[in-house]
Amino acid sequence: MSLPPASGTGRYFAKAAKSIRLIRQGCTNRPFFHISVTHRRRINSQPVIEQLGSYDPMPNTNNEKLVALNLERIKYWLGNGAHISTPVAELLGLSGFLPIHPRSYMVAWRNRHTERENLAKLEAEKAKAAEAPST
Amino acid sequence: MLSLSSLLKRTLPLVIQSAEAHRKPRWLPVAKSKIYRIPKRPVISEEERLELLRLHNNYKTQMRSIKRFYHEEMIKEKSSRESASSEMSQRIEAEEWARCVELNEKWNAQVALDRQERRKLEMAEQDEYALKRMERADVLQKERIAKASEEIRRQKELSPTFITPETLEAAIDHAIANPTDYNFAIDLKGNRYEGRDVQITYAKENKAAKSASA
Repeated sequence: MSLPPASGTGRYFAKAAKSIRLIRQGCTNRPFFHISVTHRRRINSQPVIEQLGSYDPMPNTNNEKLVALNLERIKYWLGNGAHISTPVAELLGLSGFLPIHPRSYMVAWRNRHTERENLAKLEAEKAKAAEAPST
Repeated sequence: MLSLSSLLKRTLPLVIQSAEAHRKPRWLPVAKSKIYRIPKRPVISEEERLELLRLHNNYKTQMRSIKRFYHEEMIKEKSSRESASSEMSQRIEAEEWARCVELNEKWNAQVALDRQERRKLEMAEQDEYALKRMERADVLQKERIAKASEEIRRQKELSPTFITPETLEAAIDHAIANPTDYNFAIDLKGNRYEGRDVQITYAKENKAAKSASA
């Protein structure tokens, strides 16, 4: 028995809450995600209602992480009141479809902070090295 | 009993490849070595917390308005789709249909003309091909007849030498009277010695033998 098909075979209930989320489809050590719409209370291994895109988190030879989005259908599902999971909201924010997610900002400033700290550490070490031979 | 159709129409796969298959089941207790481990809580400074709160508030407000916009758009689209079956749109559709039919007929007439011309050309080509084939067949037939008549002529020329029942006795007598022996021998130098019972004289060897004896 193979894996459930990627798109369009899941059971559909009009009034149940939907969510747009990442569904892992890669194998071991090779993550790959489908951006799909499913019922909110359904586990990820079950068939989805519809696939809306894909996301490859591993950079390719041009150092790109590829994302494909079916914006028309995302609009449709948003109009139908689908919820969006945080990772997908981040992707949509970075793609310019929605406002940038606060989490993206948080990650950015934290990265900047650690970088600044590392730089300060390096400079301190350099200063120490400069002081050591003189004494 | 499970029917085949229900088995084929099921939504859940029989075997699920769960991503969490390698995890510990929920009902197992905490490992002994981890009982007194206290997970470290993330430390978020007050400043950062306030900033995140502000950002999240903004984001939620924006998202609410965006979602409302798409929802209203969907409703509008639905209503427009429903109004598409009104009288006005039907009339417009009928006009469009008539226009399409007219255009299609025009195209069909043009295509029919083209097809007639093409068929004429094709027929002419076929005729030419058939004529060529017939001519070629005629030529071949004539050649064959000429060959045959030539053969007949040759055989007629040879006919006086044929052995017929009347001349059979004479031919047998002639053959008995003139026996022919086709046997022959050949020596190392390629000289032919006709006949079966011919005495061979070795001219050179005799000489050599003579000189040796002398």
